[in-house]
Amino acid sequence: MESTVGDLSENMHEDQGIQKVILPTDFNKCSRTDLVVLISRMLVSLIAINENSVSKIPENQITLTRYHSKIPPNISIFNYFIRLTKFSSLEHCVLMTSLYYIDLLQTAYPDFTLNSLTAHRFLLTATTIATKGLCDSFSTNAHYAKVGGVRCHELNILENDFLKRVNYRIIPRDHNIMLCSIEQKQKKFVIDKNALGSFDLDSYSYTDRPKSGYNVLDKYYRRIVQLVGSFNASPDKSKKIDYVLPSNIDKDNESGPQINEQRGSLPNHYSQKRNSEAKDANTYHKRSKPD
Amino acid sequence: MSSSSQFKQLEKLGNGTYATVYKGLNKTTGVYVALKEVKLDSEEGTPSTAIREISLMKELKHENIVRLYDVIHTENKLTLVFEFMDNDLKKYMDSRTVGNTPRGLELNLVKYFQWQLLQGLAFCHENKILHRDLKPQNLLINKKGQLKLGDFGLARAFGIPVNTFSSEVVTLWYRAPDVLMGSRTYSTSIDIWSCGCILAEMITGKPLFPGTNDEEQLKLIFDIMGTPNESLWPGVTKLPKYNPNIQQRASRDLRQVLQPHTKEPLDGNIMDFLHGLLQLNPDMRLSAKQALHHPWFAEYYHHAS
Repeated sequence: MESTVGDLSENMHEDQGIQKVILPTDFNKCSRTDLVVLISRMLVSLIAINENSVSKIPENQITLTRYHSKIPPNISIFNYFIRLTKFSSLEHCVLMTSLYYIDLLQTAYPDFTLNSLTAHRFLLTATTIATKGLCDSFSTNAHYAKVGGVRCHELNILENDFLKRVNYRIIPRDHNIMLCSIEQKQKKFVIDKNALGSFDLDSYSYTDRPKSGYNVLDKYYRRIVQLVGSFNASPDKSKKIDYVLPSNIDKDNESGPQINEQRGSLPNHYSQKRNSEAKDANTYHKRSKPD
Repeated sequence: MSSSSQFKQLEKLGNGTYATVYKGLNKTTGVYVALKEVKLDSEEGTPSTAIREISLMKELKHENIVRLYDVIHTENKLTLVFEFMDNDLKKYMDSRTVGNTPRGLELNLVKYFQWQLLQGLAFCHENKILHRDLKPQNLLINKKGQLKLGDFGLARAFGIPVNTFSSEVVTLWYRAPDVLMGSRTYSTSIDIWSCGCILAEMITGKPLFPGTNDEEQLKLIFDIMGTPNESLWPGVTKLPKYNPNIQQRASRDLRQVLQPHTKEPLDGNIMDFLHGLLQLNPDMRLSAKQALHHPWFAEYYHHAS
């Protein structure tokens, strides 16, 4: 709880009216609206970072992907995500998995970047696939497409494109982003274990750990609360709420082996960009202040 | 990655729930494969069953699980390229029927198949995957006597906190009583019940609980295993479809039920093992790993170690 004080000190006058929410340690017990707020904040932050760096790339070098809209859709990420969550009854794990899929897709498909033209189609595709792949209750693509505002045929193509790009490694497991990237480099559907060289999956004995390879969503959850839990640190101003985790787990108390930090399945770049992002957030905030 | 031109399509092997399976020949390697063709529906997109089957089977490389080699995308269909297996356990048992009398398998073969079934299943469970549709049709065998788990279309990962758990899983005859009574908190024990039903079926050659609907299915189970109560199975009366008016029955001696259908004597070991799998209370069932350490398998694990 104290950790947010530092961030807020320079903007003390704006503190009034910011509601503080202490989140449950288990994201599955969170309200889905709170999760959508947090994930939307993370997406908007990433978009801000990506669009700052992309602006330096000459326009003719930007690759258009299937996820691109011609013009930015006139619905905010937050409102769009809330709409999908409500009308397609998205579960907690689906919401969290869509965040994981950003790293998965970017690893498998470097031409894809999250920006204001791609975010909506990405979210629609990610939540459709996560629901169909993980949950027992799901709808047809025709339904998802209708809620998401695209034609069903287009969602079918997006779904197919995504599955192919990530080589069907859609289960949010600790090592799946790494495996997906190796498969892609070797142009193989499933890699042989000996192709992993010194990396031996067996040495990460699943059974020792409580979640057995499924710690990745918990890590993403803790990380987004750290990065964009604070209202002032986030460029997305949809909800005036500060989110914190109970203070005893507010630190990065990862249990189990730290395999992800080096191997890319944790959004390592989030932490590297944290400082610049906080700055970005502030600049954005100043710019967006009413005159 | 493969392309469709790499395979020569041979005879049809069967129609699955969402796909047609053909025998295929890999023209480059000369190896036979099974080609499972999945139609892409314009309303549904890629079927959820295909997404699951591919994403989960990619994680399962084990000698008792059918290997998925590749997926080929074409215009409006997906082709899953699987390891070729000669037969499935259902067809194999059917082929041994004499006239109208089903015949079970020799007990040493029963044991070898059951061992392999549990090896494959233990690997799924270690990797946090529930199969949820174990039945003789989905156990593939080859001429070497190997048995492998196939058809992961109903499977799911279970370490991820998903709130929707369907109770419409597992083919009725192999469905556990807790699932039949509407439990949505089931886990690995759901597959173990199916293993028990399959074991009994291998012994006698006929399904143990061939119900035609949920209610009859439970009745058939309780007729033999006895009715559950709170002392044997705490919480059973709180299950959504628990019927408090059900006629109370004591359990029958399972050996007396099975013995008339096999020539070989069923000893204490095999009966104790079968009881370990067919516990009404899901918490009392053996795990796949525990089952592999049961004395009935002594010859295998002593040999292995």
